Amino acid sequence: MSPDMKRLLDAALPHGVEWAGLRRVRTAARGYRAKDGEFDMAFDYIDEGYMIEVLHQGQFGYAALASMNPGHLREAAKRALRLAMAAAPRAIFRFSQDVRPPTVTRYQSPRHLHADVGADLLVRHAVEWTEAMQISDRIVQAAAEIEVRDIETEIVSTSSASIEQHLRVVGMGIQAIAQDGGCTQRRSANGPRGRVNQGGWEILDLEHGKESAQRIAEQALELLSAPECPAMTADLVLAPDQMMLQIHESVGHPLELDRILGDERNYAGSTFVKLEDIGTLRYGSELMNITFDPTIPSEAASYGADDIGHPAIKEFLIKDGILVRALGSLESQQRSGKPGVANQRAQGWFRAPIDRMANLNLEPGKDRFEDILAAVEKGVFMESNRSWSIDDYRNKFQFGCEYARLIEGGKLGAVVRNPNYRGISATFWRNLFKVGEASTFGVFGTPNCGKGEPNQVITVGHASPVCGFRNVEIFGGEA
Amino acid sequence: MNSAKDLEFCFQKTCDLLLGELLAGEALALDFSGEISDFMRFNHGQVRQIGSVQRAESSLTYFRDQRTITSSFELTGVEAKDIEYAANALTLVRREASLLPEDPYQTLPATGGSSRNVFSGRLLEPEQIPDEILGPGEILREAGADFVGLFSQGAICRGTATSAGARHWFATENFVVDYSAYLPSGKAVKSVHAGTEWDTVAYASRLASIIPHLTALAQPARTLPPGEYRVYITPDALYEFVPFFSWNGLGERCMREGESSYLALRDGRKSMSPAFHLTQDFSLGLEPRFNELGEVAAEKLVLIEGGKLVNTLVSARSNKQYGVPSNAAPESEDVRCPAIGAGQLDAENALTLLGTGIYISNLHYLNWSDNDSGRITGMTRFACFWVEEGKIVAPIQDMRFDESIYHLFGDKLLGLTRQRSLVPETGSYGLRSLGGALLPGLLVDRFPFTL
Repeated sequence: MSPDMKRLLDAALPHGVEWAGLRRVRTAARGYRAKDGEFDMAFDYIDEGYMIEVLHQGQFGYAALASMNPGHLREAAKRALRLAMAAAPRAIFRFSQDVRPPTVTRYQSPRHLHADVGADLLVRHAVEWTEAMQISDRIVQAAAEIEVRDIETEIVSTSSASIEQHLRVVGMGIQAIAQDGGCTQRRSANGPRGRVNQGGWEILDLEHGKESAQRIAEQALELLSAPECPAMTADLVLAPDQMMLQIHESVGHPLELDRILGDERNYAGSTFVKLEDIGTLRYGSELMNITFDPTIPSEAASYGADDIGHPAIKEFLIKDGILVRALGSLESQQRSGKPGVANQRAQGWFRAPIDRMANLNLEPGKDRFEDILAAVEKGVFMESNRSWSIDDYRNKFQFGCEYARLIEGGKLGAVVRNPNYRGISATFWRNLFKVGEASTFGVFGTPNCGKGEPNQVITVGHASPVCGFRNVEIFGGEA
Repeated sequence: MNSAKDLEFCFQKTCDLLLGELLAGEALALDFSGEISDFMRFNHGQVRQIGSVQRAESSLTYFRDQRTITSSFELTGVEAKDIEYAANALTLVRREASLLPEDPYQTLPATGGSSRNVFSGRLLEPEQIPDEILGPGEILREAGADFVGLFSQGAICRGTATSAGARHWFATENFVVDYSAYLPSGKAVKSVHAGTEWDTVAYASRLASIIPHLTALAQPARTLPPGEYRVYITPDALYEFVPFFSWNGLGERCMREGESSYLALRDGRKSMSPAFHLTQDFSLGLEPRFNELGEVAAEKLVLIEGGKLVNTLVSARSNKQYGVPSNAAPESEDVRCPAIGAGQLDAENALTLLGTGIYISNLHYLNWSDNDSGRITGMTRFACFWVEEGKIVAPIQDMRFDESIYHLFGDKLLGLTRQRSLVPETGSYGLRSLGGALLPGLLVDRFPFTL
């Protein structure tokens, strides 16, 4: 049962504190994995704890602990205050209480199916999916996993914030590895852990998992005999499950305001975007419209307010190709004087919130998939991320995909393996020449976005239509 | 909980409780990771965020009737609450286990034995942290650089206990200043100052020692065209390759399931340089030798010798599934405490040995780009220099490389340095990490840059 948070906070407050807040996070997760037609792994995870935060002369201090014992919370609050007091003379910015708004809100992930599904049924599905992939001796690994996380967050503060959120995140992974001699190929359901969404068990589409698994195995085998992706500069068409990665690495991270302000330089890196670019920079072609959108119900990082209580609403970050707003929380907005979004998020109760992506999407355009292909004389259509790397200023990237088909004369052609491409972020996006209509739109997410010091990993959502890019350096594996 | 001692008490009480609750036919292994840490994040030589974190994460693996399930929960340090959480976890796994099919490769804890290694440190009081860390950093501002990074300190603990009688405890108190000094050009010198006994003078001296590097870095950056270059890779830069011995790496399971990029090495289709040796070496003292089943690994395990694969990492589960003898690897079959063998080159003469080429001090965001050929792509980062005839000419604009491990550690490897550096692991996903690696510098020919 949830404790009385306000009472806990009031009882813990050190004398003379200007402002204080208490955030409780409880994560209950369970997951199952099958391999090669057999059970492989089952886990449960329950993690609950508290972060108490105090403000002293514009400097926040925090202390995180699992105990809700009033004495322990009091000690924690004292330690947070000691740290804030020691740091205040050397603070990077003197924050006001405005960065912890008195928001009152409730949010719950929408679910069509409310009843829970037992471990027996989930494992049985996972085993069946791997059985469906065993269509050849050349399949050396058939793996399937299912995971669900229930994340409860409660926030109260001395300025009367009262927030309760309950997110249910469901994820699945299906993967086949095929091998023949020295050639090994992997094919998966939308890339590693690409299927992560909010909702109930309807997200998994349990009834159609076997068909999907068999197709994955067939494509893995198909890749074994496919030729290498040719090296050429040509047009590139990306499926939504690769657009997810393209948006994440070359739009999302560069637009994080804490990177622009230099906070991340020692670890995750900086960005080529400068404060003065906001409002003026042509980031991409006029077809490029990027939104921070916490309102798509099934997307992985939808929520009512971020972890400092800033209510989340949809905002355009890039409008008709022009950068209009960055991914900056209230703290970053106060430091920079620039507009932002509700994105100060933490991995859990044991980490302080920082600027993150949440749902970051490319808005649909007007073209059907066939129209996009028809506009390509010579190119490659790539699906499902396999490899990702980008420099610490988010310029020079190289990404690889699992599966690709040549495009010749406006039509899909032969399958090719080891497809890779490289480029420079802004140049790449300025060559965006086609954006698919809503029928090509896919909603994906990943639980693995890493950043911050101390390090934090967080779930983000990305949705995009199929897109086409001109003049991209494309290549295959080593001959 | 205020200390490593409190965490140990919490761990031991939980072990006693759970082991005492076991019924006939049940077995369990309890794995524990905890910390009591202070963190201060800084930018522009000023405090960005400051706080402290207590964690005591317990992971209970339960075995009964050929069923296996793991349940994790957080301990609080409040005895009554921890009894409730541990009992709830046991109840949960008993119920869930009854719903699961048989685990075909279940490996019960079978090893007894105990160990206790506790390393105390001398750390800062919370009130001292901002001044002690940022005060000496002002010298960098005077040199025209921004001081950016993370200070962390405190106790880090690991423990394992099993129903077979194993009980192990490892605790260390340490500090890490993971920092960089950024010039207005965006170029930076990156370093880590870590230890167990805080010494203000040694720290200030360490910061002062990077100023000459900033002077070299202040020159206009040179843009090099893509192509193949002779390079010297420092131990810090080489450390970025260390995760690739584990990820799609040298685990037996990874090999069997087709995920490893070292299959060609295993099959003898490819080899590395006779000068390349890789060993798992716990004598470095960076992390404990026990795994989650209470098994204790040998102090040293040679993995690659003279460019040939001689051992993979084999867990008890892989032993059962594939019939290969276990070497007490954790279930992940990750390489722990890797050490790359020393060579004959003198690190003091690295620039002279390089002659004309690129001095690589750091790398960034590496990833496999082609598993079959063992190709890895990544970026240069921080202070990398163009060198001519043994003299630094200019920093370089960052470049992307894409190269196979069979070339990097194989036919293009010109030599390794006699001196090796202990590079500490500074990661803190979830909890502060233990570990690190002992690494030489590498001189490499025709290293390909693509962008």
